Amino acid sequence: MSASPTTAVRALQAALAAEHAAVYGYGVAGAHLAGARQRAAARDWTAHQAARDSLAAMITALRAQPVEAATAYRLPFPVRNGAAAVTLAAFLEDRVAAAYLGLVALGDPRLRAFGARAVRSAALRAVSWRDRSLAFPGLELPAPRPAPSAVGRASPSPPPAGTAAG
Amino acid sequence: MAREATRRVVLAAAASLPLVATGCSKGIGGLATPPSPLPDVTILRDAIAGETLMISRYGAVMKAAPALAGSLRPLLDQHREHLARLRARLIEPHAGGQPEHSPSASASPPGARVPGTPAAARAYLRHAEQAAAQTLLAALTAAPPSLAQLLASIAASEASHALLLSPGRRDG
Repeated sequence: MSASPTTAVRALQAALAAEHAAVYGYGVAGAHLAGARQRAAARDWTAHQAARDSLAAMITALRAQPVEAATAYRLPFPVRNGAAAVTLAAFLEDRVAAAYLGLVALGDPRLRAFGARAVRSAALRAVSWRDRSLAFPGLELPAPRPAPSAVGRASPSPPPAGTAAG
Repeated sequence: MAREATRRVVLAAAASLPLVATGCSKGIGGLATPPSPLPDVTILRDAIAGETLMISRYGAVMKAAPALAGSLRPLLDQHREHLARLRARLIEPHAGGQPEHSPSASASPPGARVPGTPAAARAYLRHAEQAAAQTLLAALTAAPPSLAQLLASIAASEASHALLLSPGRRDG
């Protein structure tokens, strides 16, 4: 079992890192969206900022230093239009869900419940972007698949390394 | 992971205990009651029962409202994935447990009335999905870590289904 504060801090830091990446990524996505999609991106961006601040406060309460956002993030694929921006948003939510699943493995029932609710929230946001559900949010991470219009050429997908989900 | 494998073996052993006890009692008679299953096993069995029930609900709705079948099929398929993943944790493959019957989507949920109109049928499934997700969220606090993660993931999937079934969504 993982009841030690250190383990909790590590899991919270991982979730915070994912939230930092999501805040960055939604900023990129929003720039390529318009209308209702852009409003949805702004709403989710705000939600991730709030989650980031909550996590930072929880980490501080455990007398640890919250991880900082990276100065830059490598996107999993080029984002140059709305279709790619939508794919990026769903990708970010998948990564956030995976990070919060780390909290669900902790011994503290409150952190567990908090993590499970956050996994659910991320999954619901992902559904609103990709318009379909996953069987195992957070456990299954679909490969980032930019929309065909975003690729344009018959080149293979870029390697999904070092992603915006930190 | 070795630890995970060990856990599965333990779960499989625990699951087979009642069968062993029953088998022995035939020959010896008067043995003590079989040991009660471990909490993990109870949580898993409840989750398996919940998924089986959801699958039968989808089957009943798709039978009553064939027009919905196309939009419901992906959700039903994901419930089947949930069930398979849960069952895989309970009994090791080739461990000699009882053969698993695959859940029939045509079996009617016990005591359920399937609404007649498509909109009411979707609402019926939506509420069932929400309730199932809540049940898993409540159960996972007592589960061992990796099972808790699986339950949280399945709960998120079921909440996603409820969102897709809400009025105003496609096919809604």
